[in-house]
Amino acid sequence: MEIDKIIHEPVRLRIMMILDGLEQADFNFLVTTLGLTRGNLNRHIEKLESAGYLKVKRSFKGKVRNTSYQITQKGSTALAQYWENLDLIRQSVQS
Amino acid sequence: MNSKQNNKSQDQNTEKLKEIPKWTRKYAQNRTLTSLAVIVITMLIGMVVATLSYLAGAAFIKGNMNVFRVCIVVLFAILVFVLIIRVSKFGGVIIHRWIDQLIYDDEGTASMPEPKLTKKKKWLGYVVGPIVGSCIIGTMYLGMEGYIAFKYMQPVSALYLVPFLVHLYFQQRPRIGPLVLICPILYTIHAILILAGVPIFFTGNLCMLNLALPAFGYTFLAHVIAHVYSRYALKKLKGLTHLEGDTANGD
Repeated sequence: MEIDKIIHEPVRLRIMMILDGLEQADFNFLVTTLGLTRGNLNRHIEKLESAGYLKVKRSFKGKVRNTSYQITQKGSTALAQYWENLDLIRQSVQS
Repeated sequence: MNSKQNNKSQDQNTEKLKEIPKWTRKYAQNRTLTSLAVIVITMLIGMVVATLSYLAGAAFIKGNMNVFRVCIVVLFAILVFVLIIRVSKFGGVIIHRWIDQLIYDDEGTASMPEPKLTKKKKWLGYVVGPIVGSCIIGTMYLGMEGYIAFKYMQPVSALYLVPFLVHLYFQQRPRIGPLVLICPILYTIHAILILAGVPIFFTGNLCMLNLALPAFGYTFLAHVIAHVYSRYALKKLKGLTHLEGDTANGD
């Protein structure tokens, strides 16, 4: 049983959990909710995007550029699998 | 002993992380400040329309046609403005987005999925809205003509408005949360109190307020409560997601 290392990182796990509850969230929302610097958040998002767990949507809000993120089906499945594996590991440690 | 305690505390922290989607959803469903702004604008427009209609009527009776014409022109301009705000295709979405950006620019945007409406449900929406609108105008007219006692105007309107508001909630789920149901609940309680003999109704020229005041007032209240709850949900969410020091900035 393996733990997904991409999701296991605390910041990335939180990004995935936030997006799992929504249709989409923009960059500003993730920055303020997670309390990260923009550069740091970008780095984590790139990793999740390259793993195919996130979908990026670029648009314009008036004249301002806006980037939104959506969890993919692959990301949603990977997140569910991650929790399942983690729970099994915790159970085996306890017993 | 320490190791066992650490494991237990780690388990509790992990369990707490599972609550993130729940609080995110609650926050997104209750971001009602934009709707609240639209309600306030609608209320102000309603008050202006009522005053102008009264002035136009008075001017017409007195034969002051200049004042009458000015009132009619301003009323027409307001009608055009309301059409722009209410009908999405004419720019309602743009105005809504502009207000949203103005209010929520600092904390960003988080949204729930739009409800999946079948063609049948969409058509039902187009039919039900005008029917309810006609019922409201009908109740007001019958109230003013004396066919419905002032006392019973609000309870009669509750018969169609409450099911309509509940239908709207189920139609808009999961984009909006159940807190908006506070409005039909309070509207029902208001009707029951009137039927029980509590004098919470208007008479005479103010009889239109029997419908307008509870409808707008309770919608406003429901949106304020939802907004306060969204603040609480965001606070809970930040409590779960904020990382400190190296963990936040590490890889």
